[in-house]
Amino acid sequence: MSQNRIPAGDLAAKGVYPPTEEMLNEPVPEEVQAGQRERLAKAWKTPQGWRYWTAVNNSEVGVWYTMTAFAFMLMAGVMALLMRLQLWVPENDLISADMFNQLFTMHGSAMMFLFAVPMFEAISILILPAFLGARDMPFPRLSAYGYWCFLIGGVFVIGSILFSAAPKAGWFMYPPLATIELGIGSDIWLLGLSFIEVASIAAAVELIVGALKCRPPGMRVNVMPLYAWYVLVVGGMILFAFPPLIAGDFLFELERSFDWPFFDHTRGGDPMLWQHLFWIFGHPEVYIIFLPSIAIAAMIVPTVARRPILGYSWIVLSAVGTGFLSFGLWVHHMFTTGLPNISLGFFSAASEAVVIPTGIQLFAFVATLIAGRVVMTLPMLWIAGALAIFTAGGLTGVMVAVAPFDWQVHDTYFIVAHLHYTLFGGMVFPVIAGVYYFFPFFRKKMLSERLGRWAFWLIFTGFNITFLPMHLTGLLGMPRRVYTYPEGLGIDWLNQISTVGSFIVAAGFAVFAWDIVRPKKDQPQIARNPWGGGTLEWSHEIPETKWGVRSIPHITSRYPLWDQPKLVDRMDAGRYYLPDAEEGLRETVVTSVIDARPIQVQRVTGPAYITIMAAGFTGGAFIFPTFHIYTPAIICAAFAVVCILYWLWTSTARPPEKDMKDVGLGLSLPTYAAGPQAVGWWAVWITMLGDATAFASLVFGVFFYWTSNSAFPPPGAEHASGYVVALATAAFALSWALTRGARGLNRAGRVAAARAALALAPLLTLSGMGGFILSVLDLDPTSHVYPAMMWALMVWVVAHGIVGTIMQGYCLAGSLLGKLTPRYDADLWNVTLFWHFLGLTALVTGAMIGLVPRLM
Amino acid sequence: MDRDDHDRQPHPREDEHEFGEERESLWRIAFAPTIWAFHFAISYAAVSVYCFKFERMVDMGTLRLGLIAMTVVMLAAIAWIGWRAFRRWDVYDTGEFTNPEGSAEDRHQFLGHAGFLLAVVSFIGVVYDTLPLVILGTCR
Amino acid sequence: MTRDTRARRPLPPGSSRLLLAAPLLLAACDGRQSVLVDGGADARILTDLFVVMLIGAVVLWFGMNGLFYWATRRSPAPHSQRMANWLVILGGIAFPTVTLGALLVYGLTLMPDLRATGDGPVIRVTGEQWWWRVAYEREDGSTVVTANEIRLPAGVRSTFLLDSKEVIHSFWVPSLGGKMDMFPGRVNEMTLGPEVPGVYRGQCAEFCGESHAWMAFEAEVMEPAAFEAWLEAEATPAAPPATPEAGRGAALFLSQGCGACHAVRGTPAVGQVGPDLTHVGSRHSLAAGRLGTSLEDFAKWVANPGAWKPGAEMPAYDHLSDAQIGAIAAYLEGLE
Repeated sequence: MSQNRIPAGDLAAKGVYPPTEEMLNEPVPEEVQAGQRERLAKAWKTPQGWRYWTAVNNSEVGVWYTMTAFAFMLMAGVMALLMRLQLWVPENDLISADMFNQLFTMHGSAMMFLFAVPMFEAISILILPAFLGARDMPFPRLSAYGYWCFLIGGVFVIGSILFSAAPKAGWFMYPPLATIELGIGSDIWLLGLSFIEVASIAAAVELIVGALKCRPPGMRVNVMPLYAWYVLVVGGMILFAFPPLIAGDFLFELERSFDWPFFDHTRGGDPMLWQHLFWIFGHPEVYIIFLPSIAIAAMIVPTVARRPILGYSWIVLSAVGTGFLSFGLWVHHMFTTGLPNISLGFFSAASEAVVIPTGIQLFAFVATLIAGRVVMTLPMLWIAGALAIFTAGGLTGVMVAVAPFDWQVHDTYFIVAHLHYTLFGGMVFPVIAGVYYFFPFFRKKMLSERLGRWAFWLIFTGFNITFLPMHLTGLLGMPRRVYTYPEGLGIDWLNQISTVGSFIVAAGFAVFAWDIVRPKKDQPQIARNPWGGGTLEWSHEIPETKWGVRSIPHITSRYPLWDQPKLVDRMDAGRYYLPDAEEGLRETVVTSVIDARPIQVQRVTGPAYITIMAAGFTGGAFIFPTFHIYTPAIICAAFAVVCILYWLWTSTARPPEKDMKDVGLGLSLPTYAAGPQAVGWWAVWITMLGDATAFASLVFGVFFYWTSNSAFPPPGAEHASGYVVALATAAFALSWALTRGARGLNRAGRVAAARAALALAPLLTLSGMGGFILSVLDLDPTSHVYPAMMWALMVWVVAHGIVGTIMQGYCLAGSLLGKLTPRYDADLWNVTLFWHFLGLTALVTGAMIGLVPRLM
Repeated sequence: MDRDDHDRQPHPREDEHEFGEERESLWRIAFAPTIWAFHFAISYAAVSVYCFKFERMVDMGTLRLGLIAMTVVMLAAIAWIGWRAFRRWDVYDTGEFTNPEGSAEDRHQFLGHAGFLLAVVSFIGVVYDTLPLVILGTCR
Repeated sequence: MTRDTRARRPLPPGSSRLLLAAPLLLAACDGRQSVLVDGGADARILTDLFVVMLIGAVVLWFGMNGLFYWATRRSPAPHSQRMANWLVILGGIAFPTVTLGALLVYGLTLMPDLRATGDGPVIRVTGEQWWWRVAYEREDGSTVVTANEIRLPAGVRSTFLLDSKEVIHSFWVPSLGGKMDMFPGRVNEMTLGPEVPGVYRGQCAEFCGESHAWMAFEAEVMEPAAFEAWLEAEATPAAPPATPEAGRGAALFLSQGCGACHAVRGTPAVGQVGPDLTHVGSRHSLAAGRLGTSLEDFAKWVANPGAWKPGAEMPAYDHLSDAQIGAIAAYLEGLE
């Protein structure tokens, strides 16, 4: 088979791998190094002046992201202080009931959606590439887009409280309270946070692909840093946890905007469906927050113990195990809703079972410290505080997992205490430990030891003064979310202690925040590896360079800086892979999933305005409907699509100037990949997994109504037209077949036939969409939840059909304009993959609309 | 695609034939917890549907027996997966607990070890989730 | 409704456990809305469960953190890896599996008793924003309607049929047992077996809107005979006003349209929107635990309900003179 007939996507690496010791020992001449450094610096230069904000590099976006999340956290913390002031004495009238309800709703929502989850993503974007010796994340513009979405959505949501227009039905937004709530508060919550959830999923996709495909050559799954394992697990959890909430938001907003009665019991709806969807998200969410923080501890503990982590496999087991088990806990937030005892028992059991992997994690850390020579550093002090607080929260968690006990303490201050112990111990303290530990990595300066100890002791004692008494406050009968309380319950003094404590915590955070922002110009730069860590991030260069790593190393150990003594010198000299940027392009190496064998050079994207514009228009599409203004929303959505298409067209899967590139050490790698070899394909695959989960949640909704409601569908209800549904489904199936066929035809060189298929397919998609719309047109979605559910499924498949049509058109245009050729067909692979999912979605929708209700 | 032309490929080391990457899958370590997930979902769904829809038609005892039988099958499956993974870990022959090397063999054994431990935890999880079926016998 | 009406009772059996569980808990035995006051079997079972778990938790907390302190501060030098390995296996898997399994079995076996079928009165409680509609279902098929107060006979299990008018609430009397949510459109059943006569306080535990904080009630546990007498009295129509002032109040009550929302049985006031006021004067509290039932309390409430309960549906009657409001208060206070 001759070389020129091999599709570019199937080109394989050529040359020597792994590198031999002689090759690695060969010095790189000084003048070559100087040239390489110059070209690299040019390719990775951060834009200057006001163009700085067009940067997409992980080292910039990551810092903005963390600082924004931290700012939101401080705002939500101020809200907590206001609430504590109101609770200082019984029957206080400092803050009105209405404002208090807005405050606790925003405090919870902001801490969860604007701080905890984004903080994980922000920190990961910032440091994951360094752990992996990668130059950047695989999709830098996606990170930037996610960040701008987060900023716009976050400011919108949190800003609403300044206008007293904030949501006020609790962060869990239970209907009917939240559906009947007047004003735009609930809409702000639903649309604003959906917008941010989309950004979260985008970041999760990127992080998963980063951990799977952007590891340095040789970093097999058994030697990758534990942080990367946690990123994989948490990314996977986000993919399965957020979509049910998005599906719930979708139904909820349809009820708020168009009066489709999903949660209205008078028309067959059921508020319990929201509770299920919310907590299927809400409980894994807790572990989504907790696991990355444990991951930070897993990076700090070995450094402190001066030895490799003990029980690497155990920790991987506990991360993966926790990820799974955390999906079997959601009903423990619903123990008092009157479900059958046996059902509660299952969730009680899983809630106890999840303690086991969590315990293993903690014991593995303690065991590492026992087996190591411990040097107590400031980050370790915070980890010690985390352990003390988290074990207390975990143990009260074991208590509330016992359903009968939860019947007592559910929705009391006991739970407030419990959840703050788990979140401070499981998230806040480890994250601050991480800030102290990694600050020298991303700012090349140390934070103050003295201020750090002050902050620690203030926050630690203040925290316990605030929250330890709350256990008793709850047992004495104080429910959550009360803006005040009567005298005589014996809780006055407890509330006063808590309020005092909360201000001590606030003082600690003030010290911590000052330590971060205080000018450090006069402070010396740090030594290169100030803590003596063994993982790759400490190979960073001082003074700072923007290219990530000078050359991408070959890794054979879990702690390469400890075990591979010549590694850093060789990296610095550009001895390893990709030491140069001959074409002036930003590049990183893509490797295989299990063994990290190099398979491709990935050209990553550089600074751009288009991401900011795309985020702005996406924001408009979400924010205008809050005020029930739909025309500008649709215009914004259209512009957002145009921006994203422009961005994809101009910077992804472009045919390269040459097929193979010499990456150093005698290895040549392809510069283009399509299908499963390509990172883009993986991103589509992972995104669609999340999308399918959201769709599955809607289907679950249909069956949920069927079980919970004795009349679903109501007797004598009108059904969708079976024939029309069948035809619509067939049209989608055919469109899928044409897309799949076009991929084969194109690759075989039959470009005209492929174009014909790609031209015909959108027409079929459109007629399929029309068919689905037509089939439910006679049903009145406001009359009962059954027709409303059928309409919701229709809306879902039609919305996806629009995307599918655009994708087919995109490939057709690509083929006509030379972006998509038989050799360079990554776009068509990705679109076909999308269509596999869409075809399946249409098939299931057809069955759910046309067939299943007739059998129920 | 024809890939037998080794000149175009990086040279794999000898041991990589036995422990070749293409023989591995990250999914494998997730098999046991996936069984736990199915066991959990089926138990929960069956009891919910039964209690809301069919409580008056069928006896709860039949359902419990059916679910406990399913539990036994699933526990056996997890045990088998655990045994397979234990063999891959190969700790008796190698005496190696930690598998810290960047070699294909260590990676192979590591995945066995992680799979084995996950099977243990999944086994415990399934046993826990069966306790309500054994102890509680009504829809109340 | 005040502290002095709270039951004085002998220490329950097994109260020596309180000695184990730190002085903090003693404070908890003093509250009238306290989980740790055992007004009945359910609360006692749950207190026992809590004490067992608390002791276990304290021991484990000190064990784990003590180990950590020892490893990092007392003896930071390296120890044997073998010992560390065993620590993970025993501490991480073996011990928790056994302990948690035992706790799970303990918890599960408690559940049937706590949801046992009732053998006492059947009480329908409907949550409203922000008060409780209460109806006792009698064996002859009649119902006795009241509001914002529950009275229960000691020694039998009462059954509660819980639902809600509009949003989700949760019915909870901590000293008598656990809580149960109240949903619109479905009826949740729970039972409670109070044993110790006394007045306990209950409160809505599920966030239900602006005045969620002020949705409470008094639950009085009575000797069975006293309970029967109370229920009998509660079933009778309202007594006519006893004083001239109360008579003026009764007339104002009707002329101001109060009867459009409130029922006072035996009078033309038959409204069903707000709480039934037939015997409001004999209750422990007014407006769902918000105020007492003194003359001043009634007057304060009628003049401006929103001041006491933000968002309450009842309008303010501040256009009435103090004397007029006083008359209405006298009328209501006299409805015993």
